[in-house]
Amino acid sequence: MSTTQATYGTWSRPLKKTGLVGFLTTVDHKKIGIGYAIGALFFLLVGGVEALIIRLQLMSPENNLVDAETYNQLFTMHGTTMVFLAVMPLSAAFFNYIMPLQIGARDVAFPRLNALGLWCFIAGGVIVNLSWFFQAAPAIGWFGYAPLTSKQFDPDIGTDFWIIGLQILGIASLAGSFNFITTILNMRAPGLTMMRLPVFTWMTLITSFLIILAFPPITIALVELMFDRHFGTHFFNVAGGGKPILWQHVFWIFGHPEVYILILPAMGIISEVLPVFSRKPLFGYPLVVFSGAVIGFLGFAVWSHHMFTTGLGIVATSAFAFLTMLISIPTGVKIFNWIGTLWGGRISFSVPMLYALGFIWMFMMGGFTGIMHSSPPVDAQQQDSYFVIAHFHYVLIGGSIFALLCGIYFWFPKVTGKLMDEAVGKIFFYTIFFGFNLAFFPMHILGMTGMPRRTHTYKAEMGWAEPNFWSTIGALILGVGIAAVVLQVIYSCFKGKPSGNNPWDARTLEWDTSSPPKEYNFGYTPIIKARDQVWENNHGTDLKKMDKIAPDSHGIHMPDQSWWPLVVSIGLFIAGLGVVFHHQTWGMLIPFIGGDSVISLLHITMPGLLLTFFGIYMWALEGPGGYHLHPDPEELKSAIDPKESGHWE
Amino acid sequence: MKWLTYIWIGILLLITGISIPQCLNTAGEGSFINKTGQQSTLDPQGPIAQNQLDVFYVTLWVTLFLFITVGGALAFATWKFRVRKGDDPDFIPAQSHGHPLVELGLVVGSAALLVVIAIPTFSGILLKDQIPVPEDGEVIEINVTGYQWWWGFEYPEHGIHTANEIVFPAGKVVKLNLKANDVIHSFWLPKLAGKLDLIPGRDNKMWIQADEPGYFWGQCAEYCGDSHAYMLFRAVALSEEDYAAWVVDQQTQSVVGEADYSPVNFEEADKDLVLKGTDLFVQNCARCHSVDPNVQTMGPNLAHFGSRTSIAAGWLENEPENLEHWILHPDKVKPGNFMWKGFPDPYNPKGPPQMEGLKDANLTREDAQALVAYLYSLK
Repeated sequence: MSTTQATYGTWSRPLKKTGLVGFLTTVDHKKIGIGYAIGALFFLLVGGVEALIIRLQLMSPENNLVDAETYNQLFTMHGTTMVFLAVMPLSAAFFNYIMPLQIGARDVAFPRLNALGLWCFIAGGVIVNLSWFFQAAPAIGWFGYAPLTSKQFDPDIGTDFWIIGLQILGIASLAGSFNFITTILNMRAPGLTMMRLPVFTWMTLITSFLIILAFPPITIALVELMFDRHFGTHFFNVAGGGKPILWQHVFWIFGHPEVYILILPAMGIISEVLPVFSRKPLFGYPLVVFSGAVIGFLGFAVWSHHMFTTGLGIVATSAFAFLTMLISIPTGVKIFNWIGTLWGGRISFSVPMLYALGFIWMFMMGGFTGIMHSSPPVDAQQQDSYFVIAHFHYVLIGGSIFALLCGIYFWFPKVTGKLMDEAVGKIFFYTIFFGFNLAFFPMHILGMTGMPRRTHTYKAEMGWAEPNFWSTIGALILGVGIAAVVLQVIYSCFKGKPSGNNPWDARTLEWDTSSPPKEYNFGYTPIIKARDQVWENNHGTDLKKMDKIAPDSHGIHMPDQSWWPLVVSIGLFIAGLGVVFHHQTWGMLIPFIGGDSVISLLHITMPGLLLTFFGIYMWALEGPGGYHLHPDPEELKSAIDPKESGHWE
Repeated sequence: MKWLTYIWIGILLLITGISIPQCLNTAGEGSFINKTGQQSTLDPQGPIAQNQLDVFYVTLWVTLFLFITVGGALAFATWKFRVRKGDDPDFIPAQSHGHPLVELGLVVGSAALLVVIAIPTFSGILLKDQIPVPEDGEVIEINVTGYQWWWGFEYPEHGIHTANEIVFPAGKVVKLNLKANDVIHSFWLPKLAGKLDLIPGRDNKMWIQADEPGYFWGQCAEYCGDSHAYMLFRAVALSEEDYAAWVVDQQTQSVVGEADYSPVNFEEADKDLVLKGTDLFVQNCARCHSVDPNVQTMGPNLAHFGSRTSIAAGWLENEPENLEHWILHPDKVKPGNFMWKGFPDPYNPKGPPQMEGLKDANLTREDAQALVAYLYSLK
């Protein structure tokens, strides 16, 4: 391989591809995707432990396994961790790894920005969870309603950890989304029109737009909250002329699209897996894509259905009820199309397929309770009760998590070149399936019989003891199942049997690469002639088979590695920590030796910001860089010489 | 390996099977099947709760229908089109891409089912939000104020303040004006109506009505801090005559008044204990708790405490041992409780409390018993 690189004396671009330096400076979308997955699975287990403690506390009435204050921290952190640190990054892992392969690209449009996303995710996740170590985890619920979050009612720094952590996580999500949109719109292989895109790539695109439009509101809300807490403003403080309900509106304008951000990637994965294991194309592809877009769009129009019990008035309540009911139509369309995919197919029950079928069933049930919530009279009894908890866990675990696990089992051979054991995978699937249903179905009963959510305990007279007990048993089984899957993933990385390029006889372009793909993904430029191009290559007519154009003489252009995304993230981490601790004593930050002097913004935040800006400046100075390499000649068999192709490269 | 799978699935099925009757037949008074749970929404005792349950059943039937049809189609397709032993492994089924007419039909069908839900939905919204004006013009109006972690109930027409137990006549429209003193709370009395939030700075209004006299449980349904789980309340619907008598009772002073906190009525045999309790009350409790039904202070109004059915906002039954425990260890009953740690200064929440609590009062058991005797004489 020949390489050329930018140099500034000692500041040359890092070259090592392996080891710690290789990982910290990587800009390869595949390595970044794996980084997201490892982080996400770690936080999935952390959030899972938090959930199990909650369930053990609720196992019997008037229990005191943990005290009320700790319990309130646990449900806050469980929700925050699962939404922002488990499901979103796991989706990001797939966006990162799979999407460029599906469109025939060699990487994303902005490789260093991609790395920034990964490191900001780690920084944000660490900041939020650092609160535990200071015995100051936030106890405000994952949606932190004002004025409970004001300094008056929440004087400790837990909420500040939460605010800063979420802001940094927001940077990660936004960086990723700008990248993915640009990549999908600009870097598709020749012939890959939008309507030939795999559905997972479409969902990546739609989700990225949702993130870009939904994160600014929560950024603003968090800034306003921070200012109320520290700089004397009164956005949510009644005494100063503010309105607590403002927080709810701004939060949910983010929060509702957020749940579609959580589910659309999952639906994308299911839309890939079902056709493969039915050996038929996706039924109604244009409508599946279009309904995904409609769900994304309407997702911004329904936020106040989370506020049906706040006294919005007849007009607003009716409008949001109507729009919420509407959104169930495109969702239903997807379910009908998935069933249509199965219909007339030849269905094999691999582990990914079991998760996909489980998804359809569980998501359908979660959707039904969603329809119930869409009616304000019904919601008046169900809101803030265990019925809601049942609903969203059916769509988030039975939906998102099932689909993400499906994606892991489906794409594991591509990512690692190894197979995960099918029989073992099935045992774990049934464990998770039964554990999940046992844990969450009784919660419908608890909600109907009046158990409110976010309650440390409950009285024995209420009759809630049995459903709570069995729910805990289910949660323990579910926990065992999830932990087992994570262990199987790790084990299979080392001991799995070789998989070959396309063990599932799958349909989309990523399956045409080696397993794992080479660093440059595709040695040739593919010329796409159909949707499900790999299926057409293997089973279709010659007319629709893909052409391959060899690279020209100077080879394949690859991005250089860089330290600066990591440096910028570290700078943001330090600056954020400084904001959390400003006005606290040094002794609080560093026990025993810190002393009593007060930390000001100049002490920690300022240096952090300076580091951030320095990192950005050097990032800009180092330029895009890049080097060329030549692919493995094996891959270029039957590739057309670029000069004769009549296509651009 | 296969046998292991079958055994494990068998165990999972067994656990599921055992759990189902247990969850449906919850023990004690709160049985799901019998629908008699204290806060069960399946046991409506008033028109709003009844309407909300009716609309719920509409959604339940519609979604059950969808479950059977759509779920059935899923199950059927999975069974009928599965790979069977002996099938050609390279067989490729017809690669059909879709069927627009089927799609259109399903979309129209879904929309039609939503209309079925939408119609009772909109009339339900109107029922809850439009406070009815009865022909005789008699509406009982109660101001509900949510505090961390208790409920203040004020009857402006009668000049009564009470706490944690809301009393009203059955068969009449009761209008509730919901205010919040500190953070957001939510008033949920499931057997009579769905909930409405109490939001600082916002005046929410709702109405409830009990068909018959009865006793109901309610609970705060918006996370409001440390003791959110312990912020319950009780509701009593009385016949019209009983309610009128209750109002008169409440309006009557139970203490001598004019800065004299001693009770008006008490057993001569308990005199020493009660008077000791009066002194202790004045020293330790009076700064937050009023015993005059006309006056509301920072803590729950305790006028006529002796006739209430529950303590600590519906959490404990009003019995001597419970009351003693509550007085001596409020922090153990309701974590973070201000009665124990004192009422914080809003401008300096981590500094010394604005009003001292019982933490440093070092009450003994005898002190507590005296206070119990005093409070029970406030009937």
